[in-house]
Amino acid sequence: MKPLNLTALLLFLGGVVWAFTLSDRAVREVQDFYFSAVSPFLKSGSQMETRARNFLTETRRSKELEVELGSIRTELGRLHIIESRYRDLEIENGRLRHALNYKKNTHFDVVPAQVIRRQPTTWWQTVDIDAGQSSGIGTQLAVLSNEGLVGKIDRIYGGQNRSSVLLLTDEKCQVSARVEGSTEVGILSGQRGRFDGSPLLRLRFLSADAKLQPGQRVFTTGRGGIFQPNIPLGTIDSVKKGALDSEALVRPSVNFSDLSTVFVVIAGDS
Amino acid sequence: MIRYSFITLLLLLTSFVVQQFLPAFTGFYQSRILLVLLVFLCAAVTVGQPTMLMLAFVGGFFWDAHCGIGPHGGDPEVYTQQVESLRFGYSIPLFAAMGLLMQGIQPLFRRGKWQFSAYLSGVAIFLYLAAEYAIINFVRGDFVLSKATLMQMLSTSLLTMLFSPFIFWLLFRIAKLCQHSINPDAGRRRQHAHRNQ
Repeated sequence: MKPLNLTALLLFLGGVVWAFTLSDRAVREVQDFYFSAVSPFLKSGSQMETRARNFLTETRRSKELEVELGSIRTELGRLHIIESRYRDLEIENGRLRHALNYKKNTHFDVVPAQVIRRQPTTWWQTVDIDAGQSSGIGTQLAVLSNEGLVGKIDRIYGGQNRSSVLLLTDEKCQVSARVEGSTEVGILSGQRGRFDGSPLLRLRFLSADAKLQPGQRVFTTGRGGIFQPNIPLGTIDSVKKGALDSEALVRPSVNFSDLSTVFVVIAGDS
Repeated sequence: MIRYSFITLLLLLTSFVVQQFLPAFTGFYQSRILLVLLVFLCAAVTVGQPTMLMLAFVGGFFWDAHCGIGPHGGDPEVYTQQVESLRFGYSIPLFAAMGLLMQGIQPLFRRGKWQFSAYLSGVAIFLYLAAEYAIINFVRGDFVLSKATLMQMLSTSLLTMLFSPFIFWLLFRIAKLCQHSINPDAGRRRQHAHRNQ
């Protein structure tokens, strides 16, 4: 081997060892540097993606939208009735709390955001949203849609108002979950290698004799310090019993292929 | 030679910027054009081993900065079996391995047969994705390989490979501007054939 090649190889191996031994903090600093360097391009890149997506959606769905508008109007009417009932219950609840001298304050502050970029990496299920540090958002905050839990904030892009959301469909996004109408509690997460529009989620560590039925709803427990309790996650699709524990497949309540507006919970009951 | 190597490095860094504009094709097995990897692979066959290793280090280092996700977070008493992340820097040796693979057919490229390198870039991208996915499975346990994942890897390799002639054309232009020959054997052959005529 030529001396120059050998020197280059040794330098390369030294560099690899240095990169492997970087602390988490140093890695964050490297990522911050990288994203601040590409931030002007990130913004225009995501704008282009959003415009292209909007254009395609508009042309494809003009007739579908008319039908959808009709059903939305019907739904709106139904929701008006529910809302009036909800207001009555809220007043009644306040009156009863007052009677019981209930002191607890409830907080559930959210920041709305638009999805501006989908799946920027090959393997991880993430989306970028147009809200970041300046909107009061930090990492490990729950992200919701009007259908249920979407995921959690994974990364804030330094110096710009945007952040990355790790979706519930990713294997790394774990949520402590309970099944409605039962005492079953488990850990819900995405499945590896499932990239289609509505992938099923895995609810693991259920008891071996879990008596669950398809269609039962799954909610967050509020344990674990990230997600607030009683956020809808999905419904049981099937149950697989094992010798030591059971596992259920859960159909998510959120349509991940059609995400547009999401809400980041910056303060909530836990 | 030094000028060409420096411009190749700049080209690799520029590809990181252009990569931001390339979304995943959701209707085509979630495939994407891995421009950074393609630029590195095409450049690797045109340079010597020291420059290739330097490009592999820079490419792998920033690729991990681009793709890395954050720590799990949450109460470890509740989330007892947290899903492992890949160690920062894992892409650097993978880039280098694929670069060495590309350099294996450098003699053919030097003779002017760049088409073989174009095909091999597709194979190298597939091997890179397969190796990356195998590492994920190894680190996290439970080997899972769905048809969707396999199709994603194949379509990404194919889609990215289609752009390799353009990258080679760009590299030839850069080499010409730097007055550097990246396929000297082909030039000599052409001169020899011209003299015989």
